[in-house]
Amino acid sequence: MLTERVSTATRCLWRSVTAGARNVLTWRERYRAMMDAREARGITLLREWLSPMQRAQFDATKYFDVVGCDTGRRYRIHYGRVTNVHQIDEAGQPVRGWCFVPSGGLVAGDTMLVQKIALETNEQSTLAVANRFRVQAPRGGPTRTPPRRACSV
Amino acid sequence: MAIQIVMDHTGDTRHWFDPDDIKALSKAEKRFESLTSVGYTAAVRDAAGKATVTRSFDPAAEETLFFPRLVGG
Repeated sequence: MLTERVSTATRCLWRSVTAGARNVLTWRERYRAMMDAREARGITLLREWLSPMQRAQFDATKYFDVVGCDTGRRYRIHYGRVTNVHQIDEAGQPVRGWCFVPSGGLVAGDTMLVQKIALETNEQSTLAVANRFRVQAPRGGPTRTPPRRACSV
Repeated sequence: MAIQIVMDHTGDTRHWFDPDDIKALSKAEKRFESLTSVGYTAAVRDAAGKATVTRSFDPAAEETLFFPRLVGG
């Protein structure tokens, strides 16, 4: 009798544990799908506003170059939200990094679009609020991934 | 139809309106003023795709993008 009751209770407990685990998994999947949708919306908007040349470059390399409206300097905006803007030289090598982002925790595509518009329309004011960081010239080739450096935003 | 795109944590929110509709245009102008008054920057782009920052509401703008203020990282 007692064994039967213990067995039933164990079964009930196990069933609710597995149901709870399934709910957590479903919630995680939904959350991930929601975040993916946000990222995708950001990329769609970014691509709409890139010039044809920038769009082609972004599709091929996950970065695109912009020209500062005040100085004519070139900047490379990498996919990401922080420490992703590098000033580059004529050879496309990074010279220094600039860290500036829109407030409000936007997705990567939105952040990159804001960085592009800011440099192309209001370069000096943008650099006035940005923080510089040092970047090392790549050893292996002309392209590099941005450094994963902490950047308080 | 014209559109105002507001960047936010969901990616963006899009507000479509008919520029020939006085009521809708007035609502769009109010949205422009309320967003820029809290620090949003408005940008429009021409047919060639060149973006320009604008400080005043342009009733003829087909697409206006609003993004939050920039901060240093």
